[in-house]
Amino acid sequence: MFSRFFSAALTVVALSLSHTGAFAQETVKIGVVVPLSGPNAQFGANIRNGLEVATKEINERGGISSLKGAKVELVFADATDPAKAGVAVQRLVSRDRVVGVVGSFISNITLAASEVTERLGVPMITHSFADQITERGYRNIFQVSPKASVIGAATFDQAAALGNLAGEKISKIALLWEDTSYGTAQSKGIRDAAKRAGVEVVVDEGYPPGITDVTPLINKVRASSAQLIFPVSYVNDAMLIIRALRQQQISTPIVGGAGGYIIPDFGKALGDVADGVLSITPANYDANKEMADKYRATYGIWPSHETLLYTAGFQDLVQAIDTAKSTDPQKIRDAIASARYCVGFARALPNNCVAFDQNGLTSTGQPIMVQWQKGELVTVWPRTAGAQLIWRGSVVKE
Amino acid sequence: MISLLQALVDGVLNGGVYGVIAVGLSLVFGVLGIVNFSQAQFLMIGMYVAWFIWHATGIDPIIGAFAALVVGGAIGALLYSCLIRHVADASVLAQIFVTVGLIAVLENLALIFLGADYRSVKTSYQTEAINVASVLVSKPYLIAFTAAIIVSVLLSLLLNRSWLGRAIRATAQNEAASTAFGIDGLRTKSLAFGLGTGLTAFGGGVILPYASVNPTVGSQYIVLMFTVAVLGGLGSTMGALVGGIIVGIIQSVSTLFLPVQMKDLALFVVFIAILAIRPQGLLAGVSR
Repeated sequence: MFSRFFSAALTVVALSLSHTGAFAQETVKIGVVVPLSGPNAQFGANIRNGLEVATKEINERGGISSLKGAKVELVFADATDPAKAGVAVQRLVSRDRVVGVVGSFISNITLAASEVTERLGVPMITHSFADQITERGYRNIFQVSPKASVIGAATFDQAAALGNLAGEKISKIALLWEDTSYGTAQSKGIRDAAKRAGVEVVVDEGYPPGITDVTPLINKVRASSAQLIFPVSYVNDAMLIIRALRQQQISTPIVGGAGGYIIPDFGKALGDVADGVLSITPANYDANKEMADKYRATYGIWPSHETLLYTAGFQDLVQAIDTAKSTDPQKIRDAIASARYCVGFARALPNNCVAFDQNGLTSTGQPIMVQWQKGELVTVWPRTAGAQLIWRGSVVKE
Repeated sequence: MISLLQALVDGVLNGGVYGVIAVGLSLVFGVLGIVNFSQAQFLMIGMYVAWFIWHATGIDPIIGAFAALVVGGAIGALLYSCLIRHVADASVLAQIFVTVGLIAVLENLALIFLGADYRSVKTSYQTEAINVASVLVSKPYLIAFTAAIIVSVLLSLLLNRSWLGRAIRATAQNEAASTAFGIDGLRTKSLAFGLGTGLTAFGGGVILPYASVNPTVGSQYIVLMFTVAVLGGLGSTMGALVGGIIVGIIQSVSTLFLPVQMKDLALFVVFIAILAIRPQGLLAGVSR
């Protein structure tokens, strides 16, 4: 009888000890909610590659040291539309018990997923641009990229600056944009910046991202006297637009709005038709050649912007877990909000660091302009030594 | 004026291709009385077949489209003889369940075995256009349209002049009587279904120079396919072609005075108006 009492007491003690939270855990799970199928699967795959490289590195170095070497485990969920993302986040938090979430590339999907993470009090790190993401007064969403309106304004301002460098003063532009939250927000940034500069937007056309025939849009561009074309697109629409522009022999410089214009597939599918296409981007791999080459050695291709940004965000999350010495999502959230992290993939980002302001928006991020040159993306703004600018087919002499 | 001509040319070229993609749907309904909701997945299958042939041998997808026709047809015929014939005489609900279920099966099989990547081809004429009095005629569109017309003519010859065509029409008219005349009902129906799916697969190969393929590409075309087939008269193969061209023109011309996002809205408004006046479609054909 005494032994039964003793074993009962032991069970009670053991159970209560396992609830202290500061007890060493063997794995820390992080949820990854990105599109792994459908039209945006390429982005999800690129993100996955970067995260897996980072996870392997962290675990090989001994895991999270302040949690007695707890290993990091990624739990993936395919998010192809906002509804699925919400459900996925719910499942990741309640069933898999993830302590943080990384995702979801598409602004619309990020908005939906972050509603759930906010409700459940779990920190989420994203690269999605839409202004709305950090304007809802949420405490648990962190955005490593600048806002869409800032990126949009920079797209115009930097393109105009490049035009000046090439000796062409811009007074008329064409704007084509996919009509979900990413395209709408970014095109507004471009439109407003153009207005501020006194430049006329002669073509301003929104289109559904699943568009199959872009000829009506390009016909309008052809009939206009635009000196620059600003398309804001995802993958498929970007390829349709560039091909149609080439088909109609339009040699006007093209300044893409990130998205489909800066992934390796764009260059692979279009070949030399992609040469000369400019695009704004939140980050480019040529800022850190050593890291890019290491990635290239494993995956055979340079790391795209989503790989850089999400991996940097993920490493920031892991660093925060280490700093917080806890798997309590709120403590991790506080650590993310106050940290400034400058190692890992953050070194390939503008200003080489990741930090956030009180709304969760990046305080270190800055848009830069890149150009396709023979299958590589070269940063052309801000100007650096050795980076050539090609304008209307010829190298610009500065 | 030029922009109207340009819109008409683009509309007709696109429309001819829509016609070929949708004719299979019309054929299957006309002959078998089954609405095949998974028809658009055969577009995807055709695109993949043509893509793989291009990837392995460099053969132009327009040529590869004929191989796609055979492969898409074979898969369709097989699916009919193994699966769909069991619901051919069952309730419409059962038919819907089977063909809608096939959508998920085909899409996800493609996703598992072929991955989610968007694949496209590179052809020499992809970024070329012919300038005819300042109207730019896109070469890939023109070539696709020509192939579509050729196949439509061949189809018409097949249905009206060949033994198989007559067997298909006889089985559609009166199966008991045609069996009495020695026509194997199951074989004919499988071939008819296969012909329907094969035609849509052909359409897939033909649009590959300007479209990209991924497992879910069917969803981008399904509504258009149904609109074309119903507008032309479900069951009428000529109707599908006519319907296709009308749909292409409506979509294209509407962009001249409406935002591009309203392209489909304009189409559906006209579509509903036409159906309100003529519910059986424009050219009601072999009917059930």
